[in-house]
Amino acid sequence: MPTNLTLLDRLRIEGRVWSLDQQLYDLPRKQRIATRREVRSNVVSAAESVGARQALSNLGTTRQLAEEYLQAQFGPAPRASWWSASIFLLTAVLVLTSIFSETAQGFSNGILAASPHATGHFSWHGISYLQTGIDYTVRDGRVDSVGGALTPLSYLLLALGAVGVGRLWRAIPGWRRSRT
Amino acid sequence: MVDASHDPQLLKGLLSFVLLQLLAEEESYGYDVVSRLHQAGIEVLEGTVYPALARLEREGRISSRLVASRSGPARKYYRPTAEGYAELERGARSWRALTETVGAVLNRPVPDHPREGI
Repeated sequence: MPTNLTLLDRLRIEGRVWSLDQQLYDLPRKQRIATRREVRSNVVSAAESVGARQALSNLGTTRQLAEEYLQAQFGPAPRASWWSASIFLLTAVLVLTSIFSETAQGFSNGILAASPHATGHFSWHGISYLQTGIDYTVRDGRVDSVGGALTPLSYLLLALGAVGVGRLWRAIPGWRRSRT
Repeated sequence: MVDASHDPQLLKGLLSFVLLQLLAEEESYGYDVVSRLHQAGIEVLEGTVYPALARLEREGRISSRLVASRSGPARKYYRPTAEGYAELERGARSWRALTETVGAVLNRPVPDHPREGI
C-alpha cells in the first residue's frame, strides 16, 4: 500500500542522497548529478512502497553504494582520486600561504620592535627554497612589503604531493584507452 | 524460488543477465527492477542493483529514458540495446551449459566413504 512521505522522511532521504553525493566527486559532474537524481527517485519510490526506514535500510551504506557506482564507472582496478588531489592542493596552498604570511609579518614586527619609528629598506630571504625574498620599505613605522611568492620548487612539491595523494598515475591507463 | 541463503557472490556474477532478462520482458526503472527481483524470489540489496544498472548502461547493454512521475522526481526507465540482447543470449546459453554440466556432477549419488586413491 502506498505510504505518504512525511517531511522527516524526505529529510532523511535527502540526507542519505547528500551523503552518497559527497562520495561520488570522482565521477564526471553530469554523471554524478544524474546518479544523485536517480537514487533519490528510486528511494522515494521504495519509501512510498515500504516506508522510508525500510527503503533506506535496503539501500545499504552510502560508502558501499558509492564504491559500487565508482566501480561501475571505472572498473574494479585501483583508481586515481582527482577529488583527493584537489583537496590536498587547496589545503596545502592555504597552509603555505598562512605560514608565509605569518613569517613575513613576524619579520616586520621585529623591525618595529627594534625601532618603532624606523625608516629604511630591509630584506629577508624568506623561507629557504620555498619562498622568494621579501623587500620591506619602512617609513616612520609604516611597513610595506614586496615579494615572498612561491618558488618553482614549491610548485613542484605541490604538484608531486597532489599526484601522490590522488594516486594520479592510476589515471594514465584510462586516459590512454580513451585516446585509442 | 531462490533460497534466501543463496551465495551472494554467485548471484552477483549472474545479476547482469537476470537484469537484462527482466528489462527485455518489460522496460523498468530501478526500484521497479528491485521489486520484480524480489517477486522472483531473488533477494538483493537495492544498493547492488542500481550500480549494476549503471554499469550495464555504461557498457552499452541497456539504454535509458527519463519519464516524469506524478509521485516525485522523474524516473529513469531502462531497456536492453541490441548488444544487451546479444549478451543475454550468450549468457543464457552459457548458464544452461554450466547448469547441465555442474548438475550432472552434483546429481551423482554421494558414497558413504570416498574410494581409496591407490
